Amino acid sequence: MTRHLGWLGFVLAVAARSALGQAPADHNRFEARWPFDSDGSVRIVDPAGRIRVIGWDVDSLAVSGRGPGRLAAAGTVSVRKLVVTGRAELEVHVPRGARVWVKSASADIDVVGVDGTLDLNSVAGAIHVVGTPADVTAETMDGPVELAGGSGRARVKTVSGAILLRGASVDLGASTLSGTIVVRAAGWQRGGTGVQRGKFESVTGDVRFDGELGRGGIVELESQSGAIALRVPAATVADFDLVTIAGSITNRLTAATAERGVLRFSTGAEGAGAQVTARSFKGNISLDAK
Amino acid sequence: MMCNEWETQLNEYVDGTLAAEARALVEAHLAGCAGCRAAVVELRALVAGAADLPKRIEPARDLWTGIAARVGKREVRNGKRWWRTALAAAATLVIGFAVYRLLPPFAAHYRPVGEGWLAVEAQYEQASDELTRALATERDRLAPATVALLERNLAAIDAALRESRDALARDPENVELRGLVASAAREKVELLRWATRVAT
Repeated sequence: MTRHLGWLGFVLAVAARSALGQAPADHNRFEARWPFDSDGSVRIVDPAGRIRVIGWDVDSLAVSGRGPGRLAAAGTVSVRKLVVTGRAELEVHVPRGARVWVKSASADIDVVGVDGTLDLNSVAGAIHVVGTPADVTAETMDGPVELAGGSGRARVKTVSGAILLRGASVDLGASTLSGTIVVRAAGWQRGGTGVQRGKFESVTGDVRFDGELGRGGIVELESQSGAIALRVPAATVADFDLVTIAGSITNRLTAATAERGVLRFSTGAEGAGAQVTARSFKGNISLDAK
Repeated sequence: MMCNEWETQLNEYVDGTLAAEARALVEAHLAGCAGCRAAVVELRALVAGAADLPKRIEPARDLWTGIAARVGKREVRNGKRWWRTALAAAATLVIGFAVYRLLPPFAAHYRPVGEGWLAVEAQYEQASDELTRALATERDRLAPATVALLERNLAAIDAALRESRDALARDPENVELRGLVASAAREKVELLRWATRVAT
């Protein structure tokens, strides 16, 4: 019995020491709520940790979180600024139509269900957006970016982070230096309009477009040394203009073949469908049917 | 109440990141708008409040001892930060103008600039060097991982630029090549601009 009590005491002592040692990391807890316009603007600065922004059908702004960092907030019913000094995990509920601006150093940024304008900026954190925001600007140096659902307009930029764009978007732009770009575009065949305007650029990373082109849409893909892969429905009506300086071009969509690094052809009457342009210096270009 | 259309500028104004011209515009607006003046007072109070918060929250001593042994103390400099930001902004403007002249329009087909190409390239090189020098003065403000990432990607883009320029030298009238050189140049400018912004 004494021996068991001794072990129990030892375990409790270790647990208590462990708990006390962890306590400072979660010491600060934040919880606040303010009335907020349905299209109000919220600016969030949180250098490290995690920022989760959730759209809701309530005309108020609520923030909760924890961390060793401190939260300061100021603003009105139409504009509010939340500033974290240090590191914190934040969950911010905003009206669906809100305009959201987030800046972080290493914090990951997640946005779910916001239909307004998003301006998301991180140095090393990942950025994930799920929903149908009207306008998205997302920049991160090293982290990956994923937009899922679709947006009216999206501009994504990374240095080395991978970019994944999924859903029914109208106007897309993505550029990266050494990351990859993957676009999976749902379009008019599934109720959307297809990509009306898309520009995807990489220096060394691969660029892959897999999806439906909007009628009359313009899609440009460019890479210096990465591969460019296009997969579109077999029935796509478009003018294709593919050029590589030192790479190869493979066409499995039609019987047309490239000559001296150039492949130009139309499926259907010229000018009647979308316009697709691909340019590479030494990356290979491939065109396939979905 | 703050004018919604001025929100971004007012935040940048309070953060001290506006160029002189934009700052003057904001001040002109503030002179006639009580709502925005009140917003600026509130934003300044917020920034001051955030600045008064502890810069560092010390973790448990037993945790910090291990970390401190491995991480060197990092100097934090705040002095004369504004002029570095201004220098970076000015360099960015020059480069932006140079690249604007370099770049083709968004449409797939464009016309080359012909004999102006070399002059524009030289202008770009000069502006790029200026921005690189500005960045060098702020280099120690960047995290080591960011510096490593920056160097790796600058090397990659310089290699890409070299390759495409060499090819252009062999085929100077190639419009597609000019477009690719212009794109790589723009990517480099964007990378330098971004790094400068992060550093300042």
